[in-house]
Amino acid sequence: MRRYILRRLLQLIPLLIGISLISFLVMHLAPGDPTALFIDPNVKPEELARVRTNWGLDQPIYVQYFLWLKNALLLDFGRSYTTGQPVINEIAERLPMTLLLMIPSYLLTLLICIPVGVISAVRKNGWFDNLFTFLSFAGMAIPTFWLGLMLMLLFSVQLRWLPAVGGIILPLMTMTIGSLAGLTRYQRAAMLEVLNQDFIRTARAKGLPERVVIFKHALRNALIPIVTILGLSLPDLFGGAFVIETIFAWPGMGRLGVQCIFQRNYPVIMGVVMLSALLIVLGNLLADIGYALVDPRIRYERRD
Amino acid sequence: MVYPNFKNFLICSLLLWLVAAAAAVSHDPEGVLRFSLGGEVSLLNPILSTDNVSSAVESAIFSGLVTFNEQLEPVPDLAESWAVSKDGKVWTFKLRKDVKWHDGVPFTADDVVFTFKSILDPKVNSVRRSDYIIDGQPIVFSAPDQYTVKAVLPKPFAPFLVHAAMSVIPKHRLAGKDINTADFNRQPVGTGPFIFKEWKTGDYVKVARNPHYYLGAPLLKAIEYKIIPDDNSSLVALEAGEIDEAGIPPKDYSRMKTVKGIKVYESDVLLYTYLGFNLANPKFADKRVRQALAYATDRKQLVGLLFRGLATPAYAPSAPISWAYSDRVQKYDYNLERAKQLLQEAGAENLEFTILVNQGNKEREKAAVILQQQYKKIGVKVNVRVMEWSAILKVVNAPKDPKEFEAVIMGWSLGLDPDGYSIWHSSQYPKGFNFIKYKNADVDRLLEEGRTTIDKNKRKAIYGQLWQAIAADQPYIFLWYPKAVAGVNERVGGLAKPGPAGLFLHIEKVYIKK
Repeated sequence: MRRYILRRLLQLIPLLIGISLISFLVMHLAPGDPTALFIDPNVKPEELARVRTNWGLDQPIYVQYFLWLKNALLLDFGRSYTTGQPVINEIAERLPMTLLLMIPSYLLTLLICIPVGVISAVRKNGWFDNLFTFLSFAGMAIPTFWLGLMLMLLFSVQLRWLPAVGGIILPLMTMTIGSLAGLTRYQRAAMLEVLNQDFIRTARAKGLPERVVIFKHALRNALIPIVTILGLSLPDLFGGAFVIETIFAWPGMGRLGVQCIFQRNYPVIMGVVMLSALLIVLGNLLADIGYALVDPRIRYERRD
Repeated sequence: MVYPNFKNFLICSLLLWLVAAAAAVSHDPEGVLRFSLGGEVSLLNPILSTDNVSSAVESAIFSGLVTFNEQLEPVPDLAESWAVSKDGKVWTFKLRKDVKWHDGVPFTADDVVFTFKSILDPKVNSVRRSDYIIDGQPIVFSAPDQYTVKAVLPKPFAPFLVHAAMSVIPKHRLAGKDINTADFNRQPVGTGPFIFKEWKTGDYVKVARNPHYYLGAPLLKAIEYKIIPDDNSSLVALEAGEIDEAGIPPKDYSRMKTVKGIKVYESDVLLYTYLGFNLANPKFADKRVRQALAYATDRKQLVGLLFRGLATPAYAPSAPISWAYSDRVQKYDYNLERAKQLLQEAGAENLEFTILVNQGNKEREKAAVILQQQYKKIGVKVNVRVMEWSAILKVVNAPKDPKEFEAVIMGWSLGLDPDGYSIWHSSQYPKGFNFIKYKNADVDRLLEEGRTTIDKNKRKAIYGQLWQAIAADQPYIFLWYPKAVAGVNERVGGLAKPGPAGLFLHIEKVYIKK
């Protein structure tokens, strides 16, 4: 297992360099440039050209890329065009805020979706299942921004229980409700599939109590898809929370990323893209390792 | 002691006492004002920042040589007085002697000279540099003594006074440092009414009362600027009492007027929106075609549909709130017969063209569709093309002739000075903001005269003629002036008269009622 992980980690290096090259090219091919921010009848075009030169944007694109790569390998991702701050600092200021929102939301989602999914599957078509099927579809259909604003109107304007902006409870609620809807359906489907399998029939035929059949035999197998989905949703850290961060004025990564794309703030875009690329590949790796942990049939190398 | 009129004395002292008591009761010395900001603060250095979010915070921390009153006229700030030499080239500013930076160091003329020299330094990423360069030659700033600043211009240039309002930065904090990346930009030190305290990126900025402010200590104890990127959320936060001020979009206007505890203020702003034609394109070369389209533009309907009345029709490249505005321009009141006739005379009955609008600007997108319907009535076919903002800029700013567009809906924010040289002068094409290739010898002459004449009344006459000449040509069809609508919590007092200078113009006099 350790060798497998090491091999996978080494494979990341050429992969990340490839991602950086493609993103750099795509970013510079998109129309527009960072000085478009300064458009104003009183700003002369030659001033914009001067600022572009100061930023090194007058050099050929391959020179710009190799300069970026050279510095990036030394963990220097440059400075933001708008704030003059190092990109690393910009991200370091935002990332904790995103984690503060995402981690509790993940945990809450898991805590709720696993039992609800399991009960729905076991009591298929019962009132509990029907209720949560309805709620899940409603949850998937409702846009996040609308749900967020409605919760704000209810809890901040009408009841005055919670702050509309700056508090953590409302964004956490909105985010959890949003991700619950989908995951509950996944968990239910996975559980249903497992319950129809032969080994469950065997377990029941052996005369095992239903509780043991469900929790020991079925649930462990039904968790595999959820582990995959959780691993793959790590990159939601960027972008995924953008709407919620915007509505609830939460200073996280999503807002930073989207704003920098609009501003063509190249150094920050590259920083965010590379960090999210790293998280995506690490998320995949974690999901693969997670499989091996929950599913004894999956082994990545021969045991000696 | 003899009191000739004891009764009057008694009344007077009673009144005085009442006034004093009222003042003491009405304002809370611990009051904290909570503003909302619609975007991220980039950096707090007035010579570098270009976004109005950062400027909003900077205006509380920094001050400049001159500032502007409610009528947008220049008034003394760090400079007590100023004078211009007869030839209009040498401006001398006498500075206040009682000003200290927030860190206690006295403010002097060296700081002012340092500020303007930094802006002129090509290595500093300040896009304001061209404001201090006239015909390729920089303005020379010097300090003959500690409290005098002299600016020598290569030639007379009336808009200079507006540029002299630039906020001053402290030499002792920034000399010898790389201003683009200095820590100062996140921990600014100014001379303004409020002292910088704390900035949590993307979240809030806090400033506190400067007890030594030269115009008197502010009544507020502190100001908190909360960053709320979503308009709907800031409205909810205003209603919930979490912030004291928020912009109100037209759709929420009538509802917000009924909300208890919130006062709604409307004010004019120095902006106009227009439909600009590429005059290098043969379709628009004939003035009669443009005039025909102007007659076919129903501005009243446009403004009514888009803003529910919270905007006014525009007829000239100036705004009614500017001192240089003149109403004596041809307005092309809605007249379909006249429009058809002019089109026929120009032989352009089968006119078809494409209007570019930028994606995300809902008002402009809708305006393009409304104009499409309006022009259909005179047989003109309009195609609307929605493009991303930076893609549109790339088209109109491309340094080539002719440029690849037919018509575009855009807007200009007007400076405090009426000078429109960069937009209308024929030298500002193909590089520059005269991207429609407008060329009129009279207009060029008036623009040159306007910016080199210092006397305000003479300038007013020049600009009156200028607006007339441009309106006659209709290189743009001027569409509307938007209004700014803001809601303010009733607990806030000391606001300025609603107007383009803003409700919080005298921020040191704003207070929280007790």
